[in-house]
Amino acid sequence: MSGFRARARAEIESGPPAATLSPILRKLVADSQDQLAAASPSDARARAQAVRSYSVAHLDELHQQLRESCARNGTGYHVASNAEEAVAIVSKLLGDARRIAKSKSMVAEEVGLTGALRLQSREVLETDIGEYIVDIEARGPSHITAPALHLNRARIRELLEEAGADVPDDDPVRLSRTVRDVVDQFFVDVDAGITGANAVIASSGRIVIVENEGNVSLGVTRPPLHIAITGMEKVVADEESALAILQVLAPSATAQPLTAYTHFLGGPEAGRERHLVVVDNGRSEILADDRYRDVLRCIRCGACMNACPVYTAAGGLSYGSPYMGPIGAVISPLLWRDGRHADLPSASSLCGRCTEVCPVGIPLHRMLLDLRSVESESQGSKVGHLVWRLWKLGYAGAQGRVASWLARLGLKLGAVLPSLPVVDARPLPTPNPPRDPTMLIPFDTIEPEPELEPSSPFADVSSLFRERAAAVGATVTEIAKARDGDHRVRATAAVASTGSVLLTGKEAARANLMDSRRIVVEVIEDTIVRYPQDLASFLTPEGDLLILTGASRTADIEKRIVRGIHGPEELVVEVGSS
Amino acid sequence: MVKVALFVPCYMAALRPGDGTHALRVLERLGDEVTTIAGPCCGQPAFNSGYRTEAKSVGRALLRAVRGHRIVVVPSGSCTSMVQHYLPGLWAGPRGASIHRMSERFIEFGAYVAAHPKMPELPLRLPGAVAYHDSCHGRRELGLTEGAISLLEQVEGLDVRRLSYEAECCGFGGTFTLKEPEVSVAMAKAKLADVESRGVRVLVSGDLSCLAHLEVTARAIDQPLETWTLAELLDRAIT
Repeated sequence: MSGFRARARAEIESGPPAATLSPILRKLVADSQDQLAAASPSDARARAQAVRSYSVAHLDELHQQLRESCARNGTGYHVASNAEEAVAIVSKLLGDARRIAKSKSMVAEEVGLTGALRLQSREVLETDIGEYIVDIEARGPSHITAPALHLNRARIRELLEEAGADVPDDDPVRLSRTVRDVVDQFFVDVDAGITGANAVIASSGRIVIVENEGNVSLGVTRPPLHIAITGMEKVVADEESALAILQVLAPSATAQPLTAYTHFLGGPEAGRERHLVVVDNGRSEILADDRYRDVLRCIRCGACMNACPVYTAAGGLSYGSPYMGPIGAVISPLLWRDGRHADLPSASSLCGRCTEVCPVGIPLHRMLLDLRSVESESQGSKVGHLVWRLWKLGYAGAQGRVASWLARLGLKLGAVLPSLPVVDARPLPTPNPPRDPTMLIPFDTIEPEPELEPSSPFADVSSLFRERAAAVGATVTEIAKARDGDHRVRATAAVASTGSVLLTGKEAARANLMDSRRIVVEVIEDTIVRYPQDLASFLTPEGDLLILTGASRTADIEKRIVRGIHGPEELVVEVGSS
Repeated sequence: MVKVALFVPCYMAALRPGDGTHALRVLERLGDEVTTIAGPCCGQPAFNSGYRTEAKSVGRALLRAVRGHRIVVVPSGSCTSMVQHYLPGLWAGPRGASIHRMSERFIEFGAYVAAHPKMPELPLRLPGAVAYHDSCHGRRELGLTEGAISLLEQVEGLDVRRLSYEAECCGFGGTFTLKEPEVSVAMAKAKLADVESRGVRVLVSGDLSCLAHLEVTARAIDQPLETWTLAELLDRAIT
């Protein structure tokens, strides 16, 4: 029995994962489609795919450029060829740092970073709410963007109590805030922050990170040292390319227009350090194989697993890999070539829905077929070979030849003598027996499906912006009455389709922002653009950029939205004409 | 009179050969001259399991069996997709291109019937309610969904209900159901719950493979269900 099957069987027997996952994921997939339609231009997926294809085709040259850009802006650039090297580089950079705030990173999971750093007696806190919870459970994340998706609120409450918290009930708001307070407390005294990266920009050396909770904001602001670890495929040419990815990433991942915080991190401030650790760990081998090269386009949105019926039925933990679902079934055996994940390509019914939803056009189900091929992957058991050879004899042997001979005979005779009855290869028996006529009677009446509200017509960008900003939880007003704890900034531009505001220069500084209770953003009507991609002309060539889309929030517990995690709990947008 | 070959795939010939007969009868009612080729395999089981050499031999035997036929009607979206999308790739270079041209003679039964010039003259009537099940290959690789639905809607008196989660796989997946039976059955149960929620006990699909999987699972959980292929439904509806 394959490892996947044994794990899936145990998961299904101990309470079917689909009971928790199915309603959540069905809604998420439908919402993602709506979001992509509402918040992105119609060619958004094609643009994102083009950007990622360009990166994969020009990886070497982009990294050369990235290395120079990092040298210019003061970010350390490091390359790790495998997992051990990645851990060694991070350890060296950390020096004697003891208290480390880590946010979500799939590559960190891949190289086993947290565990390795703890073995060095460092205190590493998973600061993402979902990661914090699965860290207590110690079975690993079950989804790449929603790590605790397999756990219901009652189980999460138990886990938090195991970790010493006193939680009076299992309300997701209370559970989320319990973790938030632990994380906030940890940030009071922290030596280093470790994050992942959603993209790194070759032309400017900026590191792009998306997040909802604000723990990344804290992690790159509070400690004097920030290390970002990422896969080498994540490099993109320029800011415009990054925007093309952002335009599909959050809609595909979490059905959001953009995440609450979108960071473009330039070089470190004076007296601080920032490092980028680029991990190969088998990616060069994938790059060299034209059957699988395109899988490096992946932006780790998780849309393929959200839509996957096998993932829904088996749950993410059944894959036994940090990467689960269809993308996990493709890249796990390619990243770990020791055969430990060789069974995963068979953990698919090949329905092709993953390929259909992938925002960067990776033909996942075709790659699964290639990975199954015994000729190319020297897999397969002796029994398997024997079985399929016997099968071949049955269908390609004598029977097939006789069938084809008779068919040709039939056709040839038919051509000469049209009246001759057609000779069939095999006479067909009688049709199916009669059916039970009562089965055709419906057993209830069907409620008509409620019609979806038509999305508002794309009127002028200004009213669209007001509507969408309100939809992501921001307060939209003409003039906000000043309050204690306000942090007031002026936006460089705003995005109508996502309800986002862009902060640049000193307005993008996070230190005061994260301490404020409310952020008031002035938006000038002339600077409102329709789509994220239209922000390109407003971006400064260097320094930090910050895109805010609503206030911080989380949906790590049963995908229920809880607002106000780290940073200001309220985002107020003042729209004016000057 | 159009001359066509009716390729009744291996699993249909073995599991429910009567469905092949229903397809034959519909084609004959449309006035076609039909040569039935029952029993060959397109190679998909071996191909999906990774045994491409074996798949190629078996696929070659199929192509040989239908040689000389300009139109090959297949009452299975899955086999049609295998022949059109995957079989040609097993041959390199110009041979692959010629196999590809050959593969274009294959057409799925519902698509063939829907486009048949005599189709509008066929008197179809069957009072009752059925749900439509989309096979993944038919849906995503051949784009058959809307055509199949509109074909069913031409049957007078028939209430055709769409499933709420039509895009979800039923869990059959060929050898997948043998390799991962627990997951496969869990997926079938989700599909059956969807069917039940639509208030029907008859499920119609272009693919008998999905239907057979669902029927077996329904029996195991005591859900009353009949599964009809598109061919059987049309044949029973012809008045």
